[in-house]
Order: sequence, then structure tokens, then C-alpha cells
Amino acid sequence: MALSTIVSQRKQIKRKAPRGFLKRVFKRKKPQLRLEKSGDLLVHLNCLLFVHRLAEESRTNACASKCRVINKEHVLAAAKKSRG
Amino acid sequence: MADHNPDSDSTPRTLLRRVLDTADPRTPRRPRSARAGARRALLETASPRKLSGQTRTIARGRSHGARSVGRSAHIQASGHLEEQTPRTLLKNILLTAPESSILMPESVVKPVPAPQAVQPSRQESSCGSLELQLPELEPPTTLAPGLLAPGRRKQRLRLSVFQQGVDQGLSLSQEPQGNADASSLTRSLNLTFATPLQPQSVQRPGLARRPPARRAVDVGAFLRDLRDTSLAPPNIVLEDTQPFSQPMVGSPNVYHSLPCTPHTGAEDAEQAAGRKTQSSGPGLQKNSPGKPAQFLAGEAEEVNAFALGFLSTSSGVSGEDEVEPLHDGVEEAEKKMEEEASPESASSTPESLQARRHHQFLEPAPAPGAAVLSSEPAEPLLVRHPPRPRTTGPRPRQDPHKAGLSHYVKLFSFYAKMPMERKALEMVEKCLDKYFQHLCDDLEVFAAHAGRKTVKPEDLELLMRRQGLVTDQVSLHVLVERHLPLEYRQLLIPCAYSGNSVFPAQ
Repeated sequence: MALSTIVSQRKQIKRKAPRGFLKRVFKRKKPQLRLEKSGDLLVHLNCLLFVHRLAEESRTNACASKCRVINKEHVLAAAKKSRG
Repeated sequence: MADHNPDSDSTPRTLLRRVLDTADPRTPRRPRSARAGARRALLETASPRKLSGQTRTIARGRSHGARSVGRSAHIQASGHLEEQTPRTLLKNILLTAPESSILMPESVVKPVPAPQAVQPSRQESSCGSLELQLPELEPPTTLAPGLLAPGRRKQRLRLSVFQQGVDQGLSLSQEPQGNADASSLTRSLNLTFATPLQPQSVQRPGLARRPPARRAVDVGAFLRDLRDTSLAPPNIVLEDTQPFSQPMVGSPNVYHSLPCTPHTGAEDAEQAAGRKTQSSGPGLQKNSPGKPAQFLAGEAEEVNAFALGFLSTSSGVSGEDEVEPLHDGVEEAEKKMEEEASPESASSTPESLQARRHHQFLEPAPAPGAAVLSSEPAEPLLVRHPPRPRTTGPRPRQDPHKAGLSHYVKLFSFYAKMPMERKALEMVEKCLDKYFQHLCDDLEVFAAHAGRKTVKPEDLELLMRRQGLVTDQVSLHVLVERHLPLEYRQLLIPCAYSGNSVFPAQ
């Protein structure tokens, strides 16, 4: 079971921003607000940077605990560190 | 000097030295006799191996004889061999010797020294053969110097001349009859010379162009293979690099052709699905019973279970999993969804009966971010279709939400560069949810602070500044350039274009 839960890494990722998804999310959460045209791209940028930082932190945690695989706890610790 | 020197000694220089030693010192007056004597000496002493040097000397000697008096200077120079340095000797050789083609002299000269070596007693005949051979050498020698300038033509002519010489040589070499060696050489000559005369295609059949052997595609076999692979064992699924692709437990025949959706907790849902497939009766299709069962099981992670339920309908099918019935089942499920979607309000939830019962008390809140919601049922539905076979909602709200989040989760796993556990990915999803929540709140605050109801890029910049991503050193544009692809950069960063226009307009 433990082995099957490890997900192998992707070698290639899409760089496109899920603009529709972002717009929808924003609309759902704040229906009273409007998002500007290129605003969702900046939101996407923000997400990218956030995910990047989170991944780096998780990776650091995993390496610190000398695990080969990133664990739930590593991610949690990283999230706590960044903001909570 | 009848000893045969080893190869290392038989340089042109040594040969010339031998010539000098054997030659009559009073050569200038009698070039012919000297040359004859030199020739004879050469014949006696020369080793059969170093032919090229002999050829040169022979040719030199012969060509001297054949040439006009105009060359007498050279001859005289050669006569004064003792006074000359090796450099002048070689120069003379080079001037007078034919452009040595590798083929010509050796092959023509081969028959010559061999008979000599075998039967030294037959010097005269060999001399005669030499003499006979030499005239053949002459035309090439006379030709060769004249052709020094055109390089390519030189070679071609040499070849043709060579062939002429060969033919004549063949005819001549047959003259020393009874000479087994000569005949064998002739035979070898024939063998060696025969090949160029053949046309190239016969000579090298491998180079002939063949029509490409193309097999017609067997469509039937192809479709069969397609089906077979679709029924492949779950190992393929396990090796699938998509995160959240579920291993098919309890339904080995299920590798469906639909892309795996992101869903966590897939295993629980699947196991339940597997169990439920057998337990629940096959209402309409085999697909349908599987779906609600999955919802039931996956309610712990409803969002995931939902997505799971829909797209992995085939997973519930333990029967034959042809691609076509799968699609049919999906279509039917969609139709069902459409039916039931109408009475429902904004929340598109799974229409599974049992799931509804469980989630009866859950609010059908349209909040996307909450992880604990997906399958909020509507009560009227519950009442209306108690025995209804459960069909999944094909496009619930959570599914695209999960799909969108999955994009960032993939990015996470890409940035992490390390293998990750599924639980960790679920955790990442939760974090992302929270993040989006916080983000929207902050943007709302900023926009309100600016007295606007629209979130503008300035708000975003402020947000990033607060996060510490944008500093005085690192501006927003720098970040945009770094992380976003070109198309987005063009949209975000104002740039001047021709016609005095700036896009995007500021």
C-alpha cells in the first residue's frame, strides 16, 4: 500500500494558467467583486509562487528528516511555517 | 650486392644507393649501357617487395631512354649520381617518374618481378617481359606528367589508361608461356581486373533501390489490440504518472480510456465501489450501481469521491469493459444527471440515494473551498427517488474545482522534484484551498480600501508586496517575466508598439 501511494513525478507540465477556473473560484467566493481582465493572470502568478515556496519548503523538510519521499507532515510543517 | 635487404632498408634512397654502387661510374657518356647495367643490377638485387621504388627506377631508366634528348640534362644529372645528394636524386625521380597511381605500377609490375624471382636464369626473358611491359608503362608515364594540372581527369585517365595497360598487359603476360607463375598471375590479374568491368548494380546489389515493403494496416487487429489494451491489468494504472490516478482495486479489468481525474481517497471509494457493485443490483447499466456506491464510500472525501464516482464509473464495472459500453454508460449517466439536475438548485451534487441520505443534514452551501461538502443532497430528490439507481452527477461543482486545483498540485509535485505520497498531495490540495480563500479575502479588503468594487492589478501588486515577493529590488514585472509564459507577459506588461500605441493600455 505504501508503495502504491507514492506518485511519480511529472517530467513536463503545462504552463497555461487555468483562467476559467480562477475566475470561477473568485466569482464563487466573492460574487460581489469583479476581477479585472488580466487580474487572473496575476492571481495565477501568485499561486505559482506560493506553490513554489511551499514545494521548496516541503522538500527541505523532507530532506531534513532524511526521507526519500515527501510526507504529509512535511507539507503540513511547510504550510504552518508559511502562514498557517 | 645480391642480398635482399629487409623492407625497412629498401627506401628509394637505399635503392638508389645500390644503383650507384652497381652502376658504371662512367655513365654520362653512355647512358644506355649504364642504364642497362643499372637495370640488370636492379633485377638481381632488388627485392620483389619494394616494387614502387623499382618501378620508379625502372621507369626512370626506361623513361630516360624513351625520352628525347631534351632530357639529357636530367640523364646527365642522374649519371653523376655519386656527386648528387639524395635530395637531387629524389627530385630527379619525382620529375621523371610517372604519377604513381597505386594500382597501376604495382599490378603491372607484379608479374614482372615474380617471374624474375622464381627463375633468375630467365633473366633475358624477364628482361624481355620487362621490356615488353615497359612500353605499356610508357604511355601512362607520358600521359601522367602531362596531366598534372587537372587532378580529377588525371585519375580517370589513369584508370582508363590503366585498363588499356591491363589489357595489353594481359595479352603480353600470356606470352611467357609455360610460366606457371605468370599464368597464375594472369589468372589473378584476370580476377582482379575483371571486377571493374562489371556494372555497378551487379557488383553491389545491396545498393540497388528496393521498393519499401509496407504492410497494409490490419484494422481489425488494430481495434482488437485497442480493446485488449483497454482491458489491461491495473499495473498500467499504477505506473500512470498522473497524480491521483487510482489503482483499480477489486476490478482488475478496468483500465478505462478516460483520463483519470484527480481524486484523493480514491482507494477507499474504489474498495467500497467494488463491494457495492456486487451488492447493489444492476439497475440500468452496470455502470450505474458502481457510481453511487462510490459516493457512499467516498463521502469522507466527498469532493474526491464525487469526481471519482463520475469519471471512474467504469471502475465499478467488473464486467466486460469494452470502450463502447463504457461510453454508453457515461452517456446514460449524463442523461440521468440532466434529469435530476433540473430540480436541483445551484449545487450540482451527486444523485446517489444513499449519499443523499448521509448528507441530508449537510448544507448545500455553494462554498467551493470547503473540503467537507461535495455531495449535499436536496431533500426533494431524496423523497422522489428512493429506489432510483444512483447515477453520478457528471459535472459537479467540485469536480472542475478539483480539476483546477490539480493543475497546481501537479505544479507542486513538479517543483518538489521528489516523489510524494498521495496523502501529501491531499494535504497540498487543502493548503491550496485555504490559500485561495485567504487570497480572495485579501483582495476584497484591498479593493475596498481603494474604494473600488473591482479588483485591479494594483491590488494584486500590493498583495504580493505584502507577501514579500515584490520588493524594491524585485518588481512585479520581473516576476512576471520570470515565471509566466510569453503570451501572458505580453498581456501584463505594457509595451510600446508601432503606431505610437501601448498595449495593454495604461
